[in-house]
Amino acid sequence: MKRFSIKYAFKTYKLDQLWLPLAIFLLFVLISLFQMDTPQLMNIARSYLAAVVPLLAGILAAYSILEDPALELRFATPIPAIRTLIERLGLIFIIQSAFALFFQAVIKIIGGDFSMYQSVWRLQLAWIIPTLSLMMLGCSCSLLAANSTIGALMVGMVWLVELIARGWFAQNFGKYFLVFMGPLMPDHPDLFANHVTLFAISSTLFLVSMALLEQQERYI
Amino acid sequence: MIKINTLTKNYGTGAKKVQALNGLDLVIGQGMFGLLGPNGAGKTTLMRILAGIVNASSGSVNVGGIDINTEAGKMEVKKILGYLPQELGMYPELTAVQFVDYMAILKGLENPAERRKRVDTVLNMVGLSDNANRKIKGFSGGMKRRVGIAQALVNDPKLLIVDEPTAGLDPEERIRFRNLLVNLAADRTVLLSTHIVEDIGQTCRDLAVISRGQVIFRGSPTELTQAAAGHVWNLTSNTMEKPDHGLTIVSMLHLAEGTQYRMVGESASDYIDAQPVQPGLEDGYVWLMKNAGHAIDTL
Repeated sequence: MKRFSIKYAFKTYKLDQLWLPLAIFLLFVLISLFQMDTPQLMNIARSYLAAVVPLLAGILAAYSILEDPALELRFATPIPAIRTLIERLGLIFIIQSAFALFFQAVIKIIGGDFSMYQSVWRLQLAWIIPTLSLMMLGCSCSLLAANSTIGALMVGMVWLVELIARGWFAQNFGKYFLVFMGPLMPDHPDLFANHVTLFAISSTLFLVSMALLEQQERYI
Repeated sequence: MIKINTLTKNYGTGAKKVQALNGLDLVIGQGMFGLLGPNGAGKTTLMRILAGIVNASSGSVNVGGIDINTEAGKMEVKKILGYLPQELGMYPELTAVQFVDYMAILKGLENPAERRKRVDTVLNMVGLSDNANRKIKGFSGGMKRRVGIAQALVNDPKLLIVDEPTAGLDPEERIRFRNLLVNLAADRTVLLSTHIVEDIGQTCRDLAVISRGQVIFRGSPTELTQAAAGHVWNLTSNTMEKPDHGLTIVSMLHLAEGTQYRMVGESASDYIDAQPVQPGLEDGYVWLMKNAGHAIDTL
């Protein structure tokens, strides 16, 4: 049975979840334009793709389910938890992906060079993997705590700790859990293992979120 | 037919444990059924269990032959359910027709043409056809409630659950809403939960009163009214002191000759001027709650 509508997924999407990523995207485009002929350009580009897109996606994911004003009505319909997750998280991912791709295009147009990632596929993985990881972390933590803010705080905490201590993470067992390895350390020998681990964790957190969302009474 | 057997629902554990439902038994047939009780009696919890949103701690619930204690059973019940929760959340940027259409999609109405026709029908039923293309954020409380009932009806449910539907509505809206519910009850089960006694009296032939998670009365509004026969008095007094002696003041009216009190209790023998009067449904409810040991705050 059809229980999904792209049209209403967009219409019920909160506008601030669109304006915030758009504003930050425009800010980074502006900064990049000012730095277009300097060596800083690629640092800015990597910062946006590696740090900003995943952080925003993670925070928006934390608020995506429980802040639905019609949550109780939705729970009273025969729509499975997986549909709700895909509808809400999918849209965030699509919007963040659009900004990430547009940003790459802008950087290319103004003379940026992404050759350090060796291929377009690896460049995309570099931001997709951390984005999915932080989205699933935010979503699952907010459902676990039945509190969107706690989910967002967890995302912020993991993001900050890993960003500050990325050197330590990269040289120890934490290298498998370093969300910034793809974008910031594309030559790391354990990059593939890192991506596989983060993808496995993201998948597990998605399943955890699904199981948590089925316990509807925790959220009303 | 809904059969509820020894239904229990606990929230929290240990010292924080709250028992919302305590071995509740109830059988509900087709038509309009009223669920009455004070705030915190367990009505909303019962509604949510019937809607498949909340899990029972123990006991069984069977809705039209479907066991609601299983996940598959919950999904089946949701297919035949219309639900209007107490706290109705909506998407303010959607129009009424968009909101109801979206809920219809979530309820599995696939065919766009049939869905559109059904959406128009239910919006017409609730008298919102003229405002169907207005955004919900501009609606009054009563109009939002009507959108709420429209979305509940869009899948033509066999079971309609409405939780405190008239709260916050003006008298005209309340009457309109009650009449709508009575019409809908002609060919389905409509479960009306409220703490407004008048709403039940005007709409239901069958009701249950819940207190502290248990059914303390099951019968008709007439039977509930008659339960208070011989226990209701009017007393007009020009002193400032209010009647007491175990009597509950149901209403007060300031008259030229003093204040007229309507009182419910075991005996008014301490007041020689007290005049016995015919009980109303509200008196029956107050008498029932007094007998159940439920504290009733009076002015």
